[in-house]
Amino acid sequence: MENFQQFTAVKPIIEFRGVSKTYQTGTHALEDVNIKINNGEFVFVVGSSGAGKSTFMKLIMREEKANTGKIVVNGFDLTSMKRKDVPMLRRTMGIVFQDFRLIPNMTVFDNVAFAMHVVGADGRDIRKEVSKALAKVGLGHKARALPNQLSGGEQQRVGLARALVNSPDLIIADEPTGNVDPNMSYEIVSLLTEINKKGTTILMVTHDHNLVRDFQHRVIMLDSGKIIADNVGGDI
Amino acid sequence: MKLGSIRYLTKEGVKNIWANRLMSLASIGVLVACMVIIGLAVLIAENVNVAIGNLEEQNVVMAYMKDYNWALYGKEATTDNTASNTTSDTETATPEDTEKVDKNGIKDSDYVIHSEDEAKALCKEIEKLDNVEKVVFVSSEEGLESVKESMLEGQEEYFSFLDDENPMSCAAKVTMKDMGKFEETIKKIEKLSGVERVVSQSDLANTINAIKKGVGVAGFWIIAILMIISLVIVSNTIRVTMYNRKLEISIMKAVGATDAFVRIPFIVEGMIIGLISAVISEGLLYFCYRVATETIISTLGTSDIVKYGDMALILFALFAGIGIIAGVLGSAIMIGKYLKHEGSEFAAI
Repeated sequence: MENFQQFTAVKPIIEFRGVSKTYQTGTHALEDVNIKINNGEFVFVVGSSGAGKSTFMKLIMREEKANTGKIVVNGFDLTSMKRKDVPMLRRTMGIVFQDFRLIPNMTVFDNVAFAMHVVGADGRDIRKEVSKALAKVGLGHKARALPNQLSGGEQQRVGLARALVNSPDLIIADEPTGNVDPNMSYEIVSLLTEINKKGTTILMVTHDHNLVRDFQHRVIMLDSGKIIADNVGGDI
Repeated sequence: MKLGSIRYLTKEGVKNIWANRLMSLASIGVLVACMVIIGLAVLIAENVNVAIGNLEEQNVVMAYMKDYNWALYGKEATTDNTASNTTSDTETATPEDTEKVDKNGIKDSDYVIHSEDEAKALCKEIEKLDNVEKVVFVSSEEGLESVKESMLEGQEEYFSFLDDENPMSCAAKVTMKDMGKFEETIKKIEKLSGVERVVSQSDLANTINAIKKGVGVAGFWIIAILMIISLVIVSNTIRVTMYNRKLEISIMKAVGATDAFVRIPFIVEGMIIGLISAVISEGLLYFCYRVATETIISTLGTSDIVKYGDMALILFALFAGIGIIAGVLGSAIMIGKYLKHEGSEFAAI
């Protein structure tokens, strides 16, 4: 079992120091958040709607900027980061979306390859790595299928392959099981756990308490923009 | 950026055009219309310039000189009109003067230009002035011939006495570079010693200037307005493409695409639309211009029309330039707005 206490000597991959975020509408999304997530951890982020989970993830991906405090992700200081450097930060992470975000007129292979084209990989590497990523998620045989020919769970696995294909240090999964059935949810989190075991840090937002309980990873619980619990296992 | 990426992005740009073929076709149609109108404006302006050039060549001024004939026949008339010059001339002819007087009562000091060499030297002096294109010396004999040809046609025999007593002064036939500086140049010529007066067609010069200015201003505005229209049209096509591809853009950004990577396919799309429009416009304009000029030549019998071949390259460069600028700028403006959005914001666009 990974315990974040075990990794205190390890350099954090994500660090929030006194981070607050208030939107222009006046909504206080996060208030004085202090947290460290170490390299190689698997962390669930839970909380009710409006708790600040999305803002927390957006700040990590640098879709939003904090009003106060300091955020460091993968060695990048996000508070002083220039806009032109944001792509370099994002190349160090893989993102899995709740709504899969697959391009409907591209095959499974092309959807995954797309993430490699973006980072300027060459054709031979693309063919090799995409095949490997699809094999990892068990969809090697569906490389030529279009997304609408796949089930929800399979589509999410394609999304996972796309997140994996550039070998990121960190995978951010925003409710990846939100649109799939319970069985498939277990499969997806199992897959993420496998990936985590090979050293990739996983940060997953979820509403599914059963998954959190069953997989026994670190859990960060947010409420009204504050961290109200930071435990290991199903004790939420 | 790697060659492979450029190839991939170019391919994506071409795919965009095909994916939005109806919108692309509409854009090409409007761009072609704009370009053909711009091309017509350029061709009309060029034809007007050629016509004006011909007129300008005809609109020469004659600078008559203070030579012997002037002293003999024209000085009295000038004395009445140009007091200052005459005063000085009169002042020089003092009773104390011991100068020889010829059979006509003219002294050397009564005139300024004493020989053809001096007249030609004056021509050279005129040629050195700003805005003077060309100066041709016209002797008094040539001047008389020219008057006979233009004014006394058919009645030469009644004026044969002029051959013995040619009243014409020698002159400098002056062609100007820019008719806009017409009056100013005439004043400069008139100030030269030895020039008696300058005869010009200032009305024609003014008309030429007005036409030139009018054509220039109208041409500028036509091109400017149509370029703005072209820009708006291409921008709109790109906006539709971007709207259709907002999912892709959001994914691109999420996986670490640079702004340039997101922009390039749209810029390629805009450029290709611009270039296709340029090629079609060139062909269409060639066809229209040929039909129009053939009709004009057969009905008016004039051959003073600019050939399309002489303008083809310039027009294509202009069209391609407009197409590429409209494509690049139109895409850059539109994508600039989209690039500010992040992740889930795309869904709300």
